[in-house]
Amino acid sequence: MRRHRPDYVIVVLSALLMVIGLVVVYSISPGLSASQHVSQNYFITKQLIDVGLGVVAFGVAAYLPLRRWSGLAGPLAIAAVVSSLVVMFTPINEIYPAHRWIRFGGFSFQVAELIKLSLVVGLAVFMGRQWRRGQLADFNSTLKPLIILLLAVGVVVAKLQSDLGSAVVIIAIMAVMAFSVGIPLKKIAMISAVIAGILVLAIAGTDYRRDRLSAFLHPGIDCQGSSYQACQALTAVGSGGVLGKGLGFGAASYGYLPEASNDSIFAIMAEKLGFIGSSAIIVIYGVFITRLKRLAQRTADQFSRLVVVGVLTWLSTQMIINVGAMLGLLPLKGITLPLVSQGGTSLIFLTAALGLAFQISRYTSYNVTEPKTSSSQGTNDNNFNGRRLRRAYNPSLTSRPRP
Amino acid sequence: MMGPRLPAATAPSQPKSNRRPEPSGTGRRLTIWYGVLIFILAIFIARLFYLQVIRHDYYRAQALADQLKEYTIEAERGVIKAKSGSGQVPLVLNEKLYTLYADPVFIKNARDSADKVAAVMGAKADDYEKLIKTPKTRYVVLERRLSEDQRKKIEELKLPGVGTQPQNYRTYPQGNLAAQVLGFVNNDGEGAYGVEQALDETLKGVPGKLKAITDAEGVPLAASRDNVQIDPRTGKDIVLSLDLGMQKQLEAILKQGLDSSKSASGGALIMEAGNGAIRAMANFPTYDPASYFKNTDAQVFNNALVSSPLEVGSIMKVLTIPAALDQGVVKPDTSYSDPNHWNLDGHEITNIEEIGGPGTRSITDILNRSINTGAVWLLMQMGGQTGQVTDIARERWHDYMVNRYRLGQPTGIEQGYEAEGSIPEPKKGYALQLTYANTSFGQAMTATPLQMAAALAAILNGGTYYRPTLVDSIVDASGKVQIQKPEALRSGVVSPQVGQELKSMMEYAVAHHSFKKPFPANFSVGGKTGTAQIANPSGGYYDDRFNGTYVGFVGGDKVQYVIAVRVNEPKVGKYAGSGAAQPIFGDLAHMLINDFNVIPRSR
Repeated sequence: MRRHRPDYVIVVLSALLMVIGLVVVYSISPGLSASQHVSQNYFITKQLIDVGLGVVAFGVAAYLPLRRWSGLAGPLAIAAVVSSLVVMFTPINEIYPAHRWIRFGGFSFQVAELIKLSLVVGLAVFMGRQWRRGQLADFNSTLKPLIILLLAVGVVVAKLQSDLGSAVVIIAIMAVMAFSVGIPLKKIAMISAVIAGILVLAIAGTDYRRDRLSAFLHPGIDCQGSSYQACQALTAVGSGGVLGKGLGFGAASYGYLPEASNDSIFAIMAEKLGFIGSSAIIVIYGVFITRLKRLAQRTADQFSRLVVVGVLTWLSTQMIINVGAMLGLLPLKGITLPLVSQGGTSLIFLTAALGLAFQISRYTSYNVTEPKTSSSQGTNDNNFNGRRLRRAYNPSLTSRPRP
Repeated sequence: MMGPRLPAATAPSQPKSNRRPEPSGTGRRLTIWYGVLIFILAIFIARLFYLQVIRHDYYRAQALADQLKEYTIEAERGVIKAKSGSGQVPLVLNEKLYTLYADPVFIKNARDSADKVAAVMGAKADDYEKLIKTPKTRYVVLERRLSEDQRKKIEELKLPGVGTQPQNYRTYPQGNLAAQVLGFVNNDGEGAYGVEQALDETLKGVPGKLKAITDAEGVPLAASRDNVQIDPRTGKDIVLSLDLGMQKQLEAILKQGLDSSKSASGGALIMEAGNGAIRAMANFPTYDPASYFKNTDAQVFNNALVSSPLEVGSIMKVLTIPAALDQGVVKPDTSYSDPNHWNLDGHEITNIEEIGGPGTRSITDILNRSINTGAVWLLMQMGGQTGQVTDIARERWHDYMVNRYRLGQPTGIEQGYEAEGSIPEPKKGYALQLTYANTSFGQAMTATPLQMAAALAAILNGGTYYRPTLVDSIVDASGKVQIQKPEALRSGVVSPQVGQELKSMMEYAVAHHSFKKPFPANFSVGGKTGTAQIANPSGGYYDDRFNGTYVGFVGGDKVQYVIAVRVNEPKVGKYAGSGAAQPIFGDLAHMLINDFNVIPRSR
C-alpha cells in the first residue's frame, strides 16, 4: 500500500488537547505556586518542556519506519522489564511515596507509561503473529503467555508500583486488543475472571484503596477526610455552572482541590469553563476516539490495526478513569487526563503512541477493511514495510514468493 | 501495483465497493468497544449536565462555604497624647509587629519546622513542636510581637503552614509615665484599664470587613467576583488633660514622698478646680504598659485613686463643715462647748490626746485641730439636737454626701473599673447614730481620693460640681478637633459664700501646720490632713495601721488646683496624714506655684 496523506486530525486533536492543558496550567499557576511555595513560572515551564518533549516523541514515532517498530517490540519489552527492576531500587520519599518513578537529576520517569507503550507494540506483534498462524484460540501458544503476561504486569504495576490506575489501563489495553483480534469470547470471559480476582485482591489488600473505594461508595460522608478530594472535585465541577467562572477565576486550584494541575485538572477545567467547556472537552475526546476507531478499521495489516486499537484503548480508558473519578462516577485513581494533565512521562509516551498511529494513518485503505482470522488463507510477510499493497484478501497474490 | 483506492483491492469479500460494508466478525468487536466508549462519554456529558446545570446552586453554595471567608480588617487605633504647656506630646503610639502562627494541616514535619522557627526566634523548639502538634486546629499562635526583621527571616524559610500576620501594638514613648491612667491594649485588641478601657469605643474606630474568596490557607484572592470590602475607619486620637511636665514632677514627688515615709503604695492627683480637668494623676507601685503581660498581679493595673476607695479619715471634715455652714445651722464664727467625747449607741467617740480635753472651740478649730467630736457636733446641729444624731441630721447629711458631693457613685471619669465607694443609708441598719457620727470625720464610709477632690473642688469653685475628666479633646482621623467642654453635673452644691469660708479655714490650717518650706504670701494654699483607721476584716479597726490622706488647694483669689494625696500605711509614727501625706502635698503645691502659672492674689 502506498504512502499517502496522513490523518492530520490526529495531530490537530493532540495539539488542541495539549494547548488546552497548557492554558489551564498557566491559568492556575498562581494558585499552585502559592500553595506549594514555588515560583509562578515553575508549572508552566515544566509543562512547556513536557509538551516540547511530547512533540519530539510524536515526530520520532511518526517517522520511524513502521517495520522498525515491530522490531522494536523486543527491546521495548526488555527496557520495560529492566525499568521495572530499577524502579524497585529507587528510594521512596514524601514526594514520591511509591516505587513508581525512576528519578535522575530534576527529572522523573514513570515506569508504567513505558510498560503501556511496550505492551501496545509487543502485543500487536504477538497477537498479529498468532492471528496469522490461526492459533488465537490455542491455550498453550496464545492464552497461556497472555495470562502469564497479564499476571506479571498486574503484579508489577498494581502491587509493586502501587499504581492500580495504570494497571487498569494496561489490563484494558490487553483485554481490548485480545477482544478485537478475535480471541474467542469464552476465553476472554475466563481471563476476565482472573482480572476480577486480581482487582479484588489488590483493593482488599491496600488500606488507601479500601478507603478510596468506600469513599466512592459513600460520597459525602467524610468530606474532610478520606473523601476530601472526591468532594472537592464535585464542588469544583458543580460550581462551574453552565458557562464556568472564567479562566482567571475559581478558587479550587488554590489549595482546595489536590493535584489541581494533574489528576484533578478536569474538575478545574469544569470549574473554569462550565458545562459548555467541559462537555466540549468530552466531545474532543469522543472525536479523537472516533478518529482512531476509523483509522483502526482502515488499517492495512493486523499489526497496525492492533497498535491503533491499543492506542485508542490507552487514550480512552485513561480518560474515562480520570474523568469518571472527577465526576464521582468512579473511585479515585492516581491517573492523568491524557495529553492535558501535567505529568511528563504520561504525555511523552502517549504522544509517541499517537505518533505511531499517525504514521499508520498514512497507510490506510479507503474502505473499511476486515482482516481474516484464518491462516489457511495465507499470511502476509512477516516484515511488512507498509509500502506494499495489502494482500490479505487475495491468496494468489500473497502466496507468491517474495523476491 | 494497484492503488489503495482501487475497488479491486477489496474485491472478493466486498463486492459493492462504493458502499461501506457492515462490519462483521472481529471488526464488529471493535465497533462494540467503540460503542461502549461513546456510551460512557455520553454518560459523562449527562453527568456534567446534572452537576453543572441542575445541581449548580448546591455546589456553588458548597464552594462558597469552603472558600468565602469573612475577615475583620482591624482599624488602626487612635493614639493618646498629653498636653505639654500649649503643645501636645504623644504618650501612646502604634507600632506594627507580627504574630507568628502555624496551620498544622500543612506541616508535614513538625520537628523540622519547629527547629527552623526556633533558630530564628532564639527560643526552644520543643515548645513550638508541641504547639504545632495541637490536634484538630487550623491555627495556633507560635509567637507574638515579632519585629520586621524576625518576620523577614521567617518568611525566607518558606515553611509551608507557617505564616505571620501584622498586628498593631501600643508603644509608649514616655515609658511607664501615667501607666495606670493610660491602661493598655490586650492581645485581643481590647483596651484594658485606664483610658484605653474607658474610651475603647472612641479609640478603636470601626473595623472594616473583607468578604473574600480565599485559598485553602486563608489568603484572600484578588480575582473573585464575590469579594466585598468595607474599609475600616481609623480610631480617634485622644488628647488628655494631663500635663506632661506636671505629671512627671508629680510622679517624682510622689515616689520620693512614699519612700521617705516608708510606704509601699499611694497616689496623688491634681485637678483644676474650675472645670474638673485632671492635670496629673499617679499611683505607686506602677508598671510598664509596654510589657504589661509580664505582671502577675493585676492589682497594679488599677488606678487606685479611682478604683480603690478607702475610709478617707479627717479630710472628710472639709465636706462636713461646709454642709453645716450651707444649712445655716452654724456660722463660721460660731463657738461651742466641746465635751471631748460623745456616747452614741453604746460607743464612745473621742479625740486625739493633743486636743486637750473639753473646752470652747470654734468651727475653724474643728478643721485646723481635726476635732472629731466637733465634726459630730456639727452633724448633730443639722438635726437641731446636741447629743443626738437624729433622723433629720442623718438625712440631711446623707443628702449632702450623696446628692451634692456625689459620693457613693462613680464620678464618670474616663477610667476603667471606677469604684463608687459606699455611704451608709440614713434609715437602714444598726447603730445608725454611731455610724453616721463616724461618717462626719471620714470613717464608716468609703470614697476614692478622686471623689474627695471633685467634691472639694465643687465647694471651692463656687458650688459647681464638674465631672472629673482626663480628656481635653478628641481628634478624628480627618484632623477635626472636638474640644471636650467641662460638664457641670450639679450647681449650687453649697453657696459661694460657704466656699469662701471653707477656703479661709483651710488656708488657716495650712498656716498653722509646719511645712518644710513656707508658701509665698501672695498665693492661697489650703488643706486638711487625714489619718484614717483601717478596718479589720474580722471586725473593728487595726490599732497600728493607718492610711494618710490629704486634700488641699492652690490658687490666688480663686482656687485654681485641688490636690488629693493618699499614702497607704506609712511608717511615720502616729499621724499618717500630717506625717506622710502632708509633705507630698506641700511639694506639689510648691511645684504648681513655681512652674505652672498659678495666678496670685490681686492684693
